[in-house]
Formats: sequence, structure tokens, C-alpha cells
Amino acid sequence: MFLFNYRYRLKCILRDRELMFWTLMFPILLATLFNLAFSNITSAEEFVKVKVAVVENEDLDANPAFSEALDDTTDIFEVTYTTRANADELLTNNQIDGYIVFDPDLNLVVNRSGLNQTIIRGFLDDFLQSSATIVTVITKNSTALDQGILAGITNRTEYLRAVSASNSNPDPVVNYFYALIAMTCLYGGFLGVKEVVAIQADLSDVGARINLAPTNKLSVLISSMLAATTVQLVELLILLAFVIGVLGISFGDQLGYVALTCVVGSLTGVTFGACVGVIVKKGEGLKTGILIGSTMTMCFLAGMMFADMKYIIATKIPILGYLNPANLITDSFYALYYYNTHTQFFTNILLLCGFTILFSAITYFVLRRQKYASL
Amino acid sequence: MVINVKNLVKRYGDLIALDHFNLEVQEGEVLGLLGPNGSGKTTAINCILSLLKYDKGTIDIFDQPMTPDAYHLKRDIGIVMQNVAVFNELTVYENIDYFCGLYISDKQTRKKLVAEAIDFVGLNDFSKFYPKKLSGGLLRRLNIACGIAHQPKLIILDEPTVAVDPQSRNNILEGIQKLNQQGATIIYTSHYMEEVEQIASRIAIMDKGKIIAMGTNEELKKMIKSGEHINLELLNPGDLDLAGINALPHIISAERRDHQLVIKSERGKNNLIPILDHLKDQQIAIGKIYSEPPTLNDVFLEITGKELRD
Repeated sequence: MFLFNYRYRLKCILRDRELMFWTLMFPILLATLFNLAFSNITSAEEFVKVKVAVVENEDLDANPAFSEALDDTTDIFEVTYTTRANADELLTNNQIDGYIVFDPDLNLVVNRSGLNQTIIRGFLDDFLQSSATIVTVITKNSTALDQGILAGITNRTEYLRAVSASNSNPDPVVNYFYALIAMTCLYGGFLGVKEVVAIQADLSDVGARINLAPTNKLSVLISSMLAATTVQLVELLILLAFVIGVLGISFGDQLGYVALTCVVGSLTGVTFGACVGVIVKKGEGLKTGILIGSTMTMCFLAGMMFADMKYIIATKIPILGYLNPANLITDSFYALYYYNTHTQFFTNILLLCGFTILFSAITYFVLRRQKYASL
Repeated sequence: MVINVKNLVKRYGDLIALDHFNLEVQEGEVLGLLGPNGSGKTTAINCILSLLKYDKGTIDIFDQPMTPDAYHLKRDIGIVMQNVAVFNELTVYENIDYFCGLYISDKQTRKKLVAEAIDFVGLNDFSKFYPKKLSGGLLRRLNIACGIAHQPKLIILDEPTVAVDPQSRNNILEGIQKLNQQGATIIYTSHYMEEVEQIASRIAIMDKGKIIAMGTNEELKKMIKSGEHINLELLNPGDLDLAGINALPHIISAERRDHQLVIKSERGKNNLIPILDHLKDQQIAIGKIYSEPPTLNDVFLEITGKELRD
């Protein structure tokens, strides 16, 4: 009976096109849109090389040290060697940020002030300062060159070092995708509602028919919920494969724990839907409405629409973070990606298990009655 | 005895849905449970099936108390509900197989029973169709197949022909008679008296949560004073003396409907000749004359003072 019902419930769920759209296609669509939106944000923050022209003339040839120094700045400057007339034209057409000319002193020509012009100016100041220092040292100590003193003049020592406190570099974008996965987990609630409605005599006609059959209701309930969880889990894995494989979002290298989060998250989502399904006594439309409303609120608080919300909740009302399944799922992925230890991860997983047990218990206690006051 | 219900009381707040309802159903009979909408037919069925809680009374099925977990009793009961109760995501075959599977676990036996049920309701050409592709009549047939595929000893059909075309209705009624001939005991609830008259071997008339009359079709009609309906088509009804006709002996009522004169008379009397004599005296010409026996509606009307279809 258990497997018989499980097989037929799988068929019913998989053939429900509307349900499959909202629980599978919609999250994939949303992930694609997120990726399009956030890829533009990241590209805007990428460093673009400063375009600079250098006028070729005899004075430049007389300063080979300058050309050598410029050759070491390929990460910062995109250098074009040209004539003065052409450099003027490039500057007029905004094809370069400025040009450098020895006339005979070192000059910078720009047509506006800005970050890129300041960078060129900074380079030139540094060059002039180093040149002046070298000249002064050689003038006062002619043996300095032989003693290797000059080698240290152009060296720059960083006394501050950036040390990452986490496994990975901070990336504000990944949290949006973690919240999206959390939303998909909780959208498993649609499947939970469907399964509960299908076996409740006061909620559906087929439910009444099932109640009249000589079958154990608990057995039917468990196999139905298992079918819902199976579908939900497969959908989630498809979404994960899409997000990781196609969109290239990183979930770290602990895929076993990622899968565990998906399993627990799916169970939480499906049992949450079942719980809403049995508690709300009105029509299926209202149940679905409540489910969508509560899921979106939880996802909002977990940072799906506004990444800083997660931080605000964590600092201002931390208890709300622990009572929000969407936040717990998001935080589990977050902990796996960033933290070196699993304490936070397992805390989240245990809390999600607690929610699953709570939702299941409520569902069971409401469903266990075998007669109805009204139909 | 297949069903024995004693003093069943079911309340919805202040409303009494079943008021000391009693019912006995014998093996092999077709019991028609007739009553207007809201008379308590479906509530009675749901209580008998242990779907609904009730306030008072006892229910025995196959001489054993009926409870929600009386699986050994449920195994022999089939229910065809008022609303079509099938899964839209499953085909005709799969729906029947699923609901049959709740009773029959052996795959081979189930396969045979499902094929028989499909054949019985005439859905062979539609077995791979989804419910949404079926017409109202075919959908009702599927609903019936889902309820009877496991070949139960007791079949309860709760208004199975609501919103069904006449052809499908006849098909369904013939099917029910066939099931009865094959040995099933049947309870058939309806507010269509013609259907109940056609198939029921015994009829229980319900009103306000209780059975107000029970017996065979003939027994019920003998319970009332009205013996026959005489219908006369009057060619020149202008000067009709209706009061004079009403005053004739054994006449219960006389009513003129345009050119029609409808007279209800008492049972077993030769009433036609005095009526014709009276009309002849008034020089009223008569076109057609025909007489009808009383209907179950007359029975209901006489007992409750209201129409069955009210």
C-alpha cells in the first residue's frame, strides 16, 4: 500500500504543470534573472586600465629610466606611444585620460580632473620623487651605486597584510542565491498542501473517498509526504546543478553538507506546507496565498530582496533569524562557504530539524482524527 | 441485515440535520432514499460511513458496529459520491486502478477488476483520457467505476446523476440495476423521484432529518388519499364551474390550467363519469382525457404539505 500510494502520488505531482512551474521553473527563471542583474553589478566594479599616451621625442629618448618605469605598470596603464599632435587628438576625443610629454621637463596634459588623472599624476610624482632621491644620493655618495643602496629606493614595502577570516573571499552576490534556494525549499510547501488536501475528507472529495477505504491514514499520509519530498529534493538538485554548473555560483567544496542542507530544507518546506494545509480551514486558494505570503516574508528577512536585511536582523533582532527557516537555510550555505568550523552550520541544521518535527507533529495531531464534525 | 441505523441524531449547532433517524436495509434490495435538497440524505450517508461525527445513535453494517477503523467492513462497501471524486492528474484507467488499489493489493486481481469496471461503465474507449477531457456524463461514469471497481457487497450512490444528460442517466440507472442483479445491496439517494421509482425495490422518503414514509412504490402511494390524477383538455373552458366540480363527491381538488382541467380524486372510486356528466351539463366540450396514478411527489405533498422539489 505504501509504495502503491507513493508511486501514484509521484505521478500526480509530476503531472501537475502549474505546481511544477512554481516549484521548479520559477526558481530557475529567478536564478537566471538574478545572474543577469548581478553580473552587471560585478562588472561595474572591475578595474579598468587607465589609458595614457606618451609623446615620442628626443627628450623621452634621453630618459630611458622613465620608459623602464612605465613598462612595470602594465597592470595600471594602457600606454600608447605617439606624436604630440596625435596625443592631442586622442585627448580631445576622450580616447585617453591624459598624455605625458618631456618638454624638456616631465609634463602631464589632461582635459579634466578625475580618478584616472589622479592615478597618472600619482605615478609621475612617484617617478620624480624617486629620480630626485637617486640623484641626491649619488651626488652625496658616489659609491652608493656600488654599495647597492640605490636598489632599495624604488622598493615599496607594505606593512599591512589582508588576511581572510573565512574560507572564501566575501561575495555579497552569493547570499541572494542562497536565499533563492531557501525560497525553493519553502516552496516545497505547495507540495505539502497538495498532499494534505488530497487525503482530508473535509478538504477534498478524493480525500473523502480515501477516508472511506480500508487503509491506514497515517501510512497514506507518510507515503504521500515522502513522494512530495522526493519531488522537491529532485527539483532542488536540478536548481543547484543549474546555479553551480551553469551560472557558476560557488557553494564551496563541501557538497555533502550542501546536499544535507537541501534534504533538511526540503523536509522543512514540505512539512511547513502540510502544516498550513491542515491549520487553515478555508479553500486551497487561501492556503496557497498564506504559503506564498509567509514564504516571501521569510525570504525577505533572509536577504533575498535586500542583502543587508540578513545583517540587520542578525544584529538588531537575532532571535528572528533563528525562528526563520528561510534564514536558517541561507545561513547554512553561508556558513559552509565562509566559516572554517561547522558549529554554525550544525546549529542551523538542528533548528531546521526542530521545525520539521514541529510542523509534522501539528499536521499529525490535526489529521489523526478519523471523523469530521462537518464536510 | 446489511445496515441497521437506530436513533441517529446529528446537529450542526442549533440545526438538527438528523433527527432520530432510523433505517434498516436488507441484503439484496435497492433502497431509494428520496428527499428534497437539505433533507439530510448526504449527512445520513456520511454518518453511516463513519465520515461524520454524530451526537447520538448506533450504526451497524453487516451486523457489526461501524467505526472509522472497521477496515473489514469498509472492504465490502463501495461509495459513489455526489461530487466527482477523481484525480485530474491521472487517466481514467489510473484513477480506477488507484481507488481499487486502496481495497485490493494483488496486482493481477486488481488488473482484472479494473478492466471489468471500465467495461461495466462503458469507458473502454476513454481509458487513457484524463478527466478534464471527459464530458459530464462520462465523468459521472468514471466516478461510479472508481466506487465499484473492487466489487463491494454494499454500494451507496449519493445522487450520482446530478447534472447528467438523459442518455448517460439511463446508462447509469441500468448499470445500478445490473449491479443489484449481480448480488450487491444498494442505497440510492436522489431528489429525482422518477429515478427512485424506476430502480428502487423499497423507498424511504426523508424530510427535515427523518424518514417520514417508507415502503415499496405501491405501498407509499396507498398511504395517501389521492388515488388518481384526471386530466381533461377543455375546448371551451370559458364558463367552467370549478366550484361545482370541487363539490362533486370523492374529488380532492380541481384546478384549471388554461385549457387543462386537472382533478385529483380519491382512490378506488369511479370518479370519471360524474365529472363528465357535470361538464356535459355545462355544455363544455372535451378534447382529450387521460388519467395518471399518483406520484411520489403526491405522497410527499400530502405528508409534508410541500412539493418534493421545493
